[in-house]
Amino acid sequence: MKKLFRRHTGVPIAFAALLLLLSPIGTDAAIDGIVAANTATLNLTAKVDHISTPDGGSMLIWGYADDDNHANNGSRATYPGPTLIVTQGTSVTINLKNNLPVPVSMVFPGQQGVSTSGGFPGLLTAEVPAYDPAVIPEPVVTYSFIASEPGTYIYHTGTRQELGIEMGLMGAIVVRPNMGAGYAYNHADTQYDREYLFFLSEMDGNIHQLVEIHGPDSTLLQESDYLSDYFSTYWFINGRNAPDTFSASYVSWLPTQPYGGLPRMHPGERMLMRIVGGGRDLHPFHFHGNHARVIGMDGRMLESAPGNGPDLSYKSFTTQSVPGKTVDQIFEWTGKGLGWDMYGHAAGDPLEPNEYAPDHGKPIPVALPETQDLAFGGFYSGSPYLGSLGSLPPGEGGLNPNAGFTYMWHSHTEKELTNWDIFPGGMMTMMVIEPPGAPIP
Amino acid sequence: MNKRGFHKWLLLLALLLFAAVPATAVVNVQCPGDTNGDAVINGSGDPAHPNAQCMHLAAGDGFVTMADGYPQYMFGFADITGTPPKKALDVGTLAATFPAPPITLDEGDEFFLSLTNVGMLMRPDLFDPHTVHWHGFPEAASVFDGVPDSSISINMGSTLTYYYNVVEPGTYMYHCHVEATEHMQMGMLGNLYVRPAQDGTTLEYPAGSGKTYNKFAYNDGDGSTGYDVDFPIQIGSFDSAFHDASLTVQPLPFAMMRDNYPMLNGRGYPDTVQVAGPDAPPEANPVSGNSTQPESSLVTAAPGQRVLLRISNLNVTRFYTLQTLGVSMQVVGKDASIHRGPDGKDLYYMTNSVVLGGGESLDAIIEIPESATAGTTYFLYTSNLNYLSNNEEDFGGMMTEIRVN
Repeated sequence: MKKLFRRHTGVPIAFAALLLLLSPIGTDAAIDGIVAANTATLNLTAKVDHISTPDGGSMLIWGYADDDNHANNGSRATYPGPTLIVTQGTSVTINLKNNLPVPVSMVFPGQQGVSTSGGFPGLLTAEVPAYDPAVIPEPVVTYSFIASEPGTYIYHTGTRQELGIEMGLMGAIVVRPNMGAGYAYNHADTQYDREYLFFLSEMDGNIHQLVEIHGPDSTLLQESDYLSDYFSTYWFINGRNAPDTFSASYVSWLPTQPYGGLPRMHPGERMLMRIVGGGRDLHPFHFHGNHARVIGMDGRMLESAPGNGPDLSYKSFTTQSVPGKTVDQIFEWTGKGLGWDMYGHAAGDPLEPNEYAPDHGKPIPVALPETQDLAFGGFYSGSPYLGSLGSLPPGEGGLNPNAGFTYMWHSHTEKELTNWDIFPGGMMTMMVIEPPGAPIP
Repeated sequence: MNKRGFHKWLLLLALLLFAAVPATAVVNVQCPGDTNGDAVINGSGDPAHPNAQCMHLAAGDGFVTMADGYPQYMFGFADITGTPPKKALDVGTLAATFPAPPITLDEGDEFFLSLTNVGMLMRPDLFDPHTVHWHGFPEAASVFDGVPDSSISINMGSTLTYYYNVVEPGTYMYHCHVEATEHMQMGMLGNLYVRPAQDGTTLEYPAGSGKTYNKFAYNDGDGSTGYDVDFPIQIGSFDSAFHDASLTVQPLPFAMMRDNYPMLNGRGYPDTVQVAGPDAPPEANPVSGNSTQPESSLVTAAPGQRVLLRISNLNVTRFYTLQTLGVSMQVVGKDASIHRGPDGKDLYYMTNSVVLGGGESLDAIIEIPESATAGTTYFLYTSNLNYLSNNEEDFGGMMTEIRVN
């Protein structure tokens, strides 16, 4: 058994950093997207494209493409659309064009005072007409609003939503509070060290195939009863199915699915989870490892009166994600009270940062079975101890180079852990508690 | 190759095959204070672990009977605590129960849970390992979390002992996490709850009422989660097409999974209210003779009593709503936590319906009116009304009764 991380020991850290660089596992500790402060101008075009699914499939999508190519994907449409990250009070302007064969628009639930210019009036908001190459210049609709309240929000098409959102015309908006970086809302109790987005959605593959082959206005689509017989077969976190969720953001092989979903933290840190119900079904999002405290919903802190902070927050180990709803919650983990020393320390060893001292030096109370009697997971380090690698049979392990503790975060509607009849996959990712000192990008 | 040479090769092959069988596979229960390996603490136990609790679960397969009489093949757990290790494989085989044997613990316990994989008798083609995932265990270590991707799973014929230092009271649940969609649809699901350290103290609630309680859902400090009787209610449902495909070794319909047997504690109504006797399900397991659906969901209480329902949901296909008729519920806990803000503010609420997705739990207290007369019956049932059915039988499913005694 080998200790990977010791304080004041640079060599193993550099080694691990190298491993990380080479590993397809890994994503950023912040939420990836288009970041802006004070004023934000987005130039989007609704486009047709495809996503890939881990079962080898390819699904037609309609998505909001970023004309300014922040995701470095050739301004292709993405599923979900670009995540917009702004500071409270930012004046947001979105210029929307349309390459789709149907009209399109954008609505911003939770935002006040959205104004529009251009296009033609639809039921909910101004719409961009269906693409027509004969119309020059290209029609543009401009949506403007001030992001006045911090929190997590959703945006989506306001035109033919029953099909448009299914096809991928939706995304997330993160509004940071005036209080500054590292807070979810304007209160000290909403402090966090790392934050991750969990944009949950699903697809009925038959709808996408019908639209691809016959078009959105075909009688075949209408006669398929795609609304009343809705039956999803793919489930997504940040637009990817497991195991693609483990890959970093902006990887070259997923150009239309730029956002990863592999949360990582150190013991004792506070992780802000922003959970968005981006599709049309409910999902019970279960996070192994510990409870989280739900501090906000739909961009409003759970407080009884202004200034009180999240005093109406509550603990949860499975959070209901409801279509159109956002939930902000703080997750913490220290390994407190395990009854054994999770680092495998001898009694005289120094404490690790945030280690639960009463368990220091206590041996693990049971013996683990022999290697031959066990099946091993790809994320198992070969050792029960945090930051230690143990011996594993050839071909086992390998997905957890820092010997972190790994926890499955997933829809507990376990049917949704599949990719169109293939298990495993779907709405699932792993959260990694990295040992102290292990780098998290 | 001549015949003799062929036999030689065959012999060599057989030797290789047998040599490949793990020589270490052994039933190995770890339980401090247990001297003979049956997971029962002998004498005064181990002074180093005075609060040790031990249990020995077998993971395998079995059969249950739906409320319309339809037999279902299942994967599941059986409680083989007290069985000598040499007999564990025999006793544990084809002995699975639904739901899995209930696990009830006290705050402060050290829980040593030995899991022996006895294999699936009806599916000798399968070599599946198994795990126990204590769902919701706070500050969990991944090695004992039971997620096969993150840790270790036990192969057939061997035992893995999980260790849990039980710190937080509440209503949890447990299940196997190996190939979770399959093993959970197949029934490896059970009740698990932890009684708080406050139990045994006497608190008056509400203050000035003269009513006192010494059993509580949580360490509330004020008796507000006090109860007289408690009942675990686990929501579950089976898709018979999936179970039948498993038994007949057919491709499993993951995408087409649609549950058609909604249940509470492993039975559909009216089996849910049977306690014992000839009408109670199921017929005993033909091999072990043990009941495979031993848990009634009948709630009984006296007028004026407070009833704690420990509700959890471990179905794998959808959200379910449970509704009460005649009495209301006060939700005092969610997900094994008292439902309070960080400064102790009560977030309890009164309701007639609770919505739970898979992997959620709630603690709800029902107060039986003082005026209720013996024989009065209230109902607890799903308001997803099409699930008041046992497949095509349109009267049954996810429902039970609350009877005043």
